[in-house]
Amino acid sequence: MNLRFHWMLPKGGEVSLNGPQTPRDAANYRLASTRAGSPAPRPDIPGWTHFGKHAEDAGIDSLLVSFSRYEPDPILVSAALGQTTSKLGFIAAYRSGLMKPTTFVQQLNTVSAFMPGRLSINIVAGSSTAEQRGYGDYLAHDERYARADEFLAVCHSFWRTNGDVNFDGKYYQVEHGKLHTPFFARERGGPEIYISGHSEQAEQLARSKGTCLLRVADTPEHLHAAVARTRKLGIEVCLRMCVICRPTRQEAIAAAESLLPEDDLGQYERSVAVKNDSQMYREASQVENRWLSPLLWTGFVPHYGPVWTTLLGSFDDIARALIEYKKIGVTQFIMSGWPELDEVVTFGSEVVPRVRRAEARL
Amino acid sequence: MSLRFHWMLPKGGEVAMQTVQETSRVLTTKSTSKASLPDMEGWLKFSRCAEEVGIESVLMSFSRYEPDTLVIAAALGQATKKLKFIVAYRTGFMQPATFVQQVNTLSGLIDGRVALNIVAGSSTEEQRGYGDFLDHDERYARADEFLEICHAFWRGNNEEVVFDGKYFKVESGHLSTPFMAPDRKAPEIYVSGHSEQAQRLAQRRGDCWLRLIDTPEKLAPLAMRSREQGIELCLRLCVICRPTRAEAIAAARAMLPDEETEKQERKILSSSDSQTLKQALAAADEVGWMNQNLWAGLVPFYGSSSITLIGSPEELAEAFLAYKTVGITQFIISGWPKLEEMNIFGREVIPLVREREARKFAADCRG
Repeated sequence: MNLRFHWMLPKGGEVSLNGPQTPRDAANYRLASTRAGSPAPRPDIPGWTHFGKHAEDAGIDSLLVSFSRYEPDPILVSAALGQTTSKLGFIAAYRSGLMKPTTFVQQLNTVSAFMPGRLSINIVAGSSTAEQRGYGDYLAHDERYARADEFLAVCHSFWRTNGDVNFDGKYYQVEHGKLHTPFFARERGGPEIYISGHSEQAEQLARSKGTCLLRVADTPEHLHAAVARTRKLGIEVCLRMCVICRPTRQEAIAAAESLLPEDDLGQYERSVAVKNDSQMYREASQVENRWLSPLLWTGFVPHYGPVWTTLLGSFDDIARALIEYKKIGVTQFIMSGWPELDEVVTFGSEVVPRVRRAEARL
Repeated sequence: MSLRFHWMLPKGGEVAMQTVQETSRVLTTKSTSKASLPDMEGWLKFSRCAEEVGIESVLMSFSRYEPDTLVIAAALGQATKKLKFIVAYRTGFMQPATFVQQVNTLSGLIDGRVALNIVAGSSTEEQRGYGDFLDHDERYARADEFLEICHAFWRGNNEEVVFDGKYFKVESGHLSTPFMAPDRKAPEIYVSGHSEQAQRLAQRRGDCWLRLIDTPEKLAPLAMRSREQGIELCLRLCVICRPTRAEAIAAARAMLPDEETEKQERKILSSSDSQTLKQALAAADEVGWMNQNLWAGLVPFYGSSSITLIGSPEELAEAFLAYKTVGITQFIISGWPKLEEMNIFGREVIPLVREREARKFAADCRG
């Protein structure tokens, strides 16, 4: 099967509809998006639709719609954008402790009915303790995973039977659960489920209740064993990364360097990272060497966070690197770039065709 | 102020249905019913007509038999311009912060055209399927806490939300996406139900108490009390409007269902623990005609919200003015078929109501 490429949905107002934007401006906008006064938390149908159409043309499969208290709700954003685009899929991120599983399934099934085969979910067990408490969730990291497991068990039960669902767990009870609106997908009873996180619990959850483990990119050598283990259990692996592709490696490196912090923006992200109790953040802050391989760079990570792990190089470099991941069993990628619109267009016109040609030769 | 008219959004597939019998609850709660599927084509047709004939909002009902209301509003709102959506939701199904995040997102997606119809719960059986095991009275206590937290988020002012209640706790609550509307910082909230608890919830946390229609005489003291409490009163009703009263009555009688549907519908109604349903069923059994124009004859078959105002356009316009006189300001209406009846109502009744309102306003000004 061909590699599947997804992209991050830009923040509200991030896509420039009036002329070009520098990578620096785009990145700064993203970094400031959680600050008071930023327009980023406002839904942006015109900007997102513009981006979505270019992503469709670029051969992008789905957009990841992220969840946090600084952003609009991903399920409703997906529902609305499904109306303004025609092929594009949406991976709606959601945390499992914030609504009843029955309600969650009813919402997802409804969205899927508006756009059959175009909705997936990215289940996240939780975020920082402070943010969770703002939602009324007081469980600790490990318990959040136990709850996520029950949450998805109930969801699967609805998707499997669509009938009388009964569940008696520690976190959820359901008696004669029934929902008449089914999930709509091609050849599937429920959505594809991406489970993200680097902890042992996250991997376990992906294996028992997910269809795909989502994690930050590392080198093929480092990932090899974990990917093989996961694939053997019938679970796919999807890598989250930023991408900077330019005609030459030198240009890509220059573009990356122009994005290093020049003011205190990175400070803020660092403080967020320190407070976060996720395994992913802890690992990312401990990396010493910023070049994990000649193409994979973590220079942004200490400043902006782990998902800024970046694949950079020429079009040929990037295509080759993606094929290397394919060879160890990785099947999907979720990309970001600066600006998102320019990078997705370049990626679609230069890298995707190279990857497809290489895949045909495999 | 002019009376405000809203309409029920038809169920999935309903716009294409020809008879009222097809839309009965017995049929729409079957798992094979099209009511479980979003019906973009039918809803768009309906919504455009609603905008054209002067209907302000559509109410989207919530149940396990239907698609999710918030999601439908997000999708349908992309294809409409003026129409508002009154989204029904039950309060026990998600954290209040999550609900506010969804409602605020929806407001930003559809230019603030969203209001809420808050329902504390439904039948015990249906609630348990959602994982909610509280009883009727406790559901209201929880709804009160739920809305208190929602209001704290909507008040905003960059203050963090802190709440420590029996059902919900929130610590340093913050949501960056605000409620976005040209004229409001929070959605208009309709609270429905006939119980004492429902009325209290409407008064404490709502903008408007939503209840079934009754005669103006019976509603006058309730309307007065609501106004004293600073909230509006909105009535749920059905309308059958025909050129003459005789034709309207004949149309109403033709809507009575077959015996089997009648039996099944009674079973559904009698299993609910809602006060609203019990009162409506009693009205239907005891009186039938509640006054010259108000008929409860369809209630046993089509549910409590099918108390029907029947008559010619002039009679109906007079009837609405009588409600206005006792202090009622809004109506959420149904009819069969929904689209045709709405078009008749919009073209024939609304202009007569507006004329009479203008005349009365002019007379009041003259003193």
